[in-house]
Amino acid sequence: MLPSYLTMAAILFCIGLYGALVKRNAVIVLLSIELMLNAVNLNLVAFSKYGVVPSLTGQIFALFTITVAAAEAAVGVAVLIALFRARGTVNVDEFDEMRR
Amino acid sequence: MTDLTELPILSIILVTPLIGLLVILLLPKHRNRWLQTAAIIATLIPLVLSFWLYADYDKHQGGSSYEETATWVEVPLNKETQASNGVTSYTLSFQYELGIDGLSLPLIILTTLITAMAAFASIHVKKRWKAFYAWFLLLEVGVLGVFMARDLFLFFIFFEVTLIAMYFLIGIWGYFNRERAANQFVIYNGLGSAIMLIAFILLVNTAGFHIDQGTSSFIYSGSYADILRNLSDPTAWVNVAPDQTGGLNPFHMSDAMHTVIFLLLVVAFGIKLPILPFHTWMLKVHNEAHPAIVMIHSGVLLKMGAYGLIRFGIVLFPEQAKDWAVVLASLGLASLLYGALVAFRQTELKLVLAYSSISHMGIVLLGLAAFNEIGLQGAVFQLVSHGLISALLFLIVGSLYERTKTTTLSELGGLARPMPFISGILLAGGLASLGLPGLSGFVGEFLSLLGLFDSQPWLAGFAVIGVILTAVYLLRAVLKTTFGPVDERYLAVKDARLIEALPMIVLLAFILLLGCYPSVLTDTFHYSVDGVFKPLFSLRMGG
Amino acid sequence: MDQFTQTAWLIPLFPFAAFLLLTALGRSYRRAGVMIGSVGALAALVMSLLVFFERLDPDAVDYSEGFNWITLGDYTLKIGFEVTNLNSLMLIIVTLVSFLVNVYSAGYMKKDERITVFYGYVALFTFAMLGLVLSDNMLVFYIFWELVGVCSFLLVGFWYAKPAARAAAKKAFIVTRIGDAGLLLGIIVLFWYMPGHALDFSSIHNVFSEGQSGAITMSITTSIALLLFMGVIGKSGQFPLHVWLPDAMEGPTPISALIHAATMVAAGVFLLARTFDIFEASAAAMHTVAYFGGFTAIFAAMVALAQNDIKRILAYSTISQLGYMVMAMGLGSMTGGIFHLFTHAFFKALLFLAAGSVIHAVHTQNIHEMGGLGSKMRITAWTFGIGALSLSGIPPFSGFWSKDAILASALDENPFLFVVGLAAAFCTALYMSRLFFIVFMGKSSVRQPREVRESSKSMTIPLLVLAVLSVGAGFVETPWNGWLGSWLTGGGEEVHASAAAIIASIAVGVLGIYVGWLMYGKGSIERGAAAAKAPWLANLLERQYYINEFYDLVIVRSVRGIGKSLAAFDEYVIGGAVRFFGFATVTGGRMLTRMNNGQTQVFGLTAVIGLLVIIAVIVGRRFW
Repeated sequence: MLPSYLTMAAILFCIGLYGALVKRNAVIVLLSIELMLNAVNLNLVAFSKYGVVPSLTGQIFALFTITVAAAEAAVGVAVLIALFRARGTVNVDEFDEMRR
Repeated sequence: MTDLTELPILSIILVTPLIGLLVILLLPKHRNRWLQTAAIIATLIPLVLSFWLYADYDKHQGGSSYEETATWVEVPLNKETQASNGVTSYTLSFQYELGIDGLSLPLIILTTLITAMAAFASIHVKKRWKAFYAWFLLLEVGVLGVFMARDLFLFFIFFEVTLIAMYFLIGIWGYFNRERAANQFVIYNGLGSAIMLIAFILLVNTAGFHIDQGTSSFIYSGSYADILRNLSDPTAWVNVAPDQTGGLNPFHMSDAMHTVIFLLLVVAFGIKLPILPFHTWMLKVHNEAHPAIVMIHSGVLLKMGAYGLIRFGIVLFPEQAKDWAVVLASLGLASLLYGALVAFRQTELKLVLAYSSISHMGIVLLGLAAFNEIGLQGAVFQLVSHGLISALLFLIVGSLYERTKTTTLSELGGLARPMPFISGILLAGGLASLGLPGLSGFVGEFLSLLGLFDSQPWLAGFAVIGVILTAVYLLRAVLKTTFGPVDERYLAVKDARLIEALPMIVLLAFILLLGCYPSVLTDTFHYSVDGVFKPLFSLRMGG
Repeated sequence: MDQFTQTAWLIPLFPFAAFLLLTALGRSYRRAGVMIGSVGALAALVMSLLVFFERLDPDAVDYSEGFNWITLGDYTLKIGFEVTNLNSLMLIIVTLVSFLVNVYSAGYMKKDERITVFYGYVALFTFAMLGLVLSDNMLVFYIFWELVGVCSFLLVGFWYAKPAARAAAKKAFIVTRIGDAGLLLGIIVLFWYMPGHALDFSSIHNVFSEGQSGAITMSITTSIALLLFMGVIGKSGQFPLHVWLPDAMEGPTPISALIHAATMVAAGVFLLARTFDIFEASAAAMHTVAYFGGFTAIFAAMVALAQNDIKRILAYSTISQLGYMVMAMGLGSMTGGIFHLFTHAFFKALLFLAAGSVIHAVHTQNIHEMGGLGSKMRITAWTFGIGALSLSGIPPFSGFWSKDAILASALDENPFLFVVGLAAAFCTALYMSRLFFIVFMGKSSVRQPREVRESSKSMTIPLLVLAVLSVGAGFVETPWNGWLGSWLTGGGEEVHASAAAIIASIAVGVLGIYVGWLMYGKGSIERGAAAAKAPWLANLLERQYYINEFYDLVIVRSVRGIGKSLAAFDEYVIGGAVRFFGFATVTGGRMLTRMNNGQTQVFGLTAVIGLLVIIAVIVGRRFW
């Protein structure tokens, strides 16, 4: 059973990575990051059930992650709104502040 | 007479140009005459001292009394004791360690001689005299340090000093493409230095230590003597495989590692020598740098490559050198013939001489690869001889350029008429370079080939073709310059002034001396051969 | 009692001192220069004569002395001198001709502004040649061998402003250098195979005269001999390396007489004599030597028939006569070879100096622009005639006796080479009579005949001395008196005497002169008759068998081509590789710079790629 969960998680992670690296809209980038986090959650849960040493810790950890992800999404969207107010765009290409 | 051995004579030789440098820094910068006089004096003193050293050396017959040691950098290392033989502390210690033997002494004399002559030849420098002589003297310090250093890191630092000094000397006082030449020089040689540094670090990590019995402290150092002792002692840690000591031996150097370090050293010094595919940088230097600088470059700096190859490559790794002797000899043969054939088609006198340097360094490689005493003697002799000859030839090129404003062969001709003296010396230099007996070139060439024949007769047979080709390209260049109808432009030029003629005569005198009585050099070197190189040759007989 | 023998090392030092003085004095002391050079040569001559008279004592033993030149561990290279009968004979030849040439040049070179330089070079040459003669081992021999080569080079290129002289000097040096490379290799091989690594001639004699039971195998002996013979081919102008000698006539004529006729070119024959035991130990080497010599003799003599430059004719004649000597050596007749060397030195020097006298008078070297000079230049004509008769092998002139000695041994050893020798002798007589009749007899075709007069005393006296020697020198060895042979070889060699050889030799000589007289003297045979019958042959001979053109096409161009392509290789392949690395580094740097554009996503991508690389490395290690 474990390999199919892991495969599913890997596919989800890759989709998320692709979105995070390629999409120009910052909102979609944020969503992609959520996707990657959830792929990780899937892994955690799968290991807690089918791993070499099954334990509840994995599921508890997944709950933590969901919480942190929610907080991250909130902060992320807040930053995004602030950016949109300042620059009038959410296009990731136009933010190259780190270069300067 | 005070006992010479009590004076730190090597340090004195090394420091004199530095003092000269300080003096020059204090002189006003527009006083060319003062600056040059100071530079000449600062190069003449080491020259005299090195001859004194030579005269005294023969009496000692091994030069062991000329070692000077002082601790330079000492860093205690906090490393947990691993060995069980009572070592309590680790120290990293770099020594200021100087020494000479029969291999370095001739090269030191060559250096002091050629730099002094190049100081005379610097009358043709037209600008920024103060900076020129400052870098010039720093260059001499670097070269002398390279030949004297007995510590790997000291050696490396002096090696780099020459690089930097040369960089500015080429880049500021050269001809039209000087900056490009300087960049290529410094990058190419920097690469060589980097490779050399890797090899040195590997060496220090495996063989560069000794245990001080008094304080039972374990001392890492770059000392050449330590490394040589460890590498040549079959019971030293570096030569004992881990499974023989029961597991752990971080100092063990496997056979593959031996070969890798040897090859790293060959490449590092091969770039400097230069061996065949690594030669392009030196063409630019020969062509673009000021002739006085090329005198030092071609006369001395290239010798550092051969010196390093002998001192580190062959002496430290005799077995590997023996295994690779055929490859070295083939590279030498290739350099010899290739340099000669390409020189034959050059239209620029300086490039002919540059390729001739490649060709002659090929002979050095052939002598080294012979792996017997005759060949090694031949290689060292060829080093000194080529140093003198190429310095002489570039001295003449400098004087020629001052008069004709060109050194392109097709624009020269018939110069024997307006300037018989310079032309005569050029002819003599050319004949020396092509190996005329009675002049020094012949002895080096003959001994190298003689030695090589014993180990690789067929390669020696082919190398003899080089003797013919050398005559072909050198005569072509020399006769094109001096013989034939003279161009009207050059009818009015004057022959050499005394200050120009003096270094020419001195260099030619040394070429003649070495050619007629080579024992002055071979005997000196022979003392060291007995001590250091004898084991190598017995190795060959056994295996 | 052999005090002069022991101080024989002084002989070369006289001319050397003269050279040093002349170089130090510079160009201004013209008369003093001439005096210094001549006195140096005269002192050497006197000393050589003293040594020679000591050697005439039948009890005289060979004397040698030397010191270590280089010590290399277990090996030593020595330098020393040796006096043997052969050496002392060569000493006489060299110093005598050198002295006479010194005297002659005082007149011939009088107007040249660099006359002191000339005398300096001649003194240096004399020093080197004497050193070569006195050397006691192969290394010293090689050193002086190269030095004479350089002096020859300097003197051929003496009038350096002429492009032809420059080319000739370069050619002389390089072509002989090819042979010298072989000689050098031969010495190296000899060094490693000789017992005790001895290179001196007496050890060579001891080792090789034992025959094949000695320490050195047959194949090594043969290869050493052939390598040494390469040196001979180069220096003594044997086919196929003879091409430099005719061109070397660009040098002043006294030099042609001294270096390119009497002494230096004979050094190859001298080398054969010195290392005769090596050659004798290998039959294959002996045959090679004999056939090369024989071929050169006939080949060069034929070319001489069709040349029009007086010095070129004599140059080809020299090549041909050297071929005779080499052939004699190859046939095992060392005495014959040395004897011919001895006589040839005198009559060929005489011919060249007489030719120089003619050139000095008429300012041309083309024989068709001379003619009828016999009446105006009596001494020159008479002495030239004596030299020509001697060269043609007419008794009792010296050339006859030495040529006969060679032909007699050829008849005994190898009848084919005997025929070749006879044919060459016929050609020799023919071209000498052609030369003599065209230049000295018949109608004058000189442009300014009034200015032609006999040369000054300093030029004619050497001619007379040499003429006397050309007549008399032959009597040291005749078919009934083997003095020279027994003196040289210690009585070992029997005298080849054969009436057939004598008769044949005289017959072809006379026949050659008669045909020459008919064609060029009397004119009863049309001059162009032979050329008209076989124009291709005439053309072939006139152009010297197109050998220069052939070498130019095959060797010079191919070396140039190789050089050119290697130069291109150097520029584009090696240089290109270096430039490519530079370019690749710079381009790589630019690309990496572009990566750093401040966009988060690019940073992320880079991080991911880095992560993948690390994973690949960690996973990859397992399989490595």
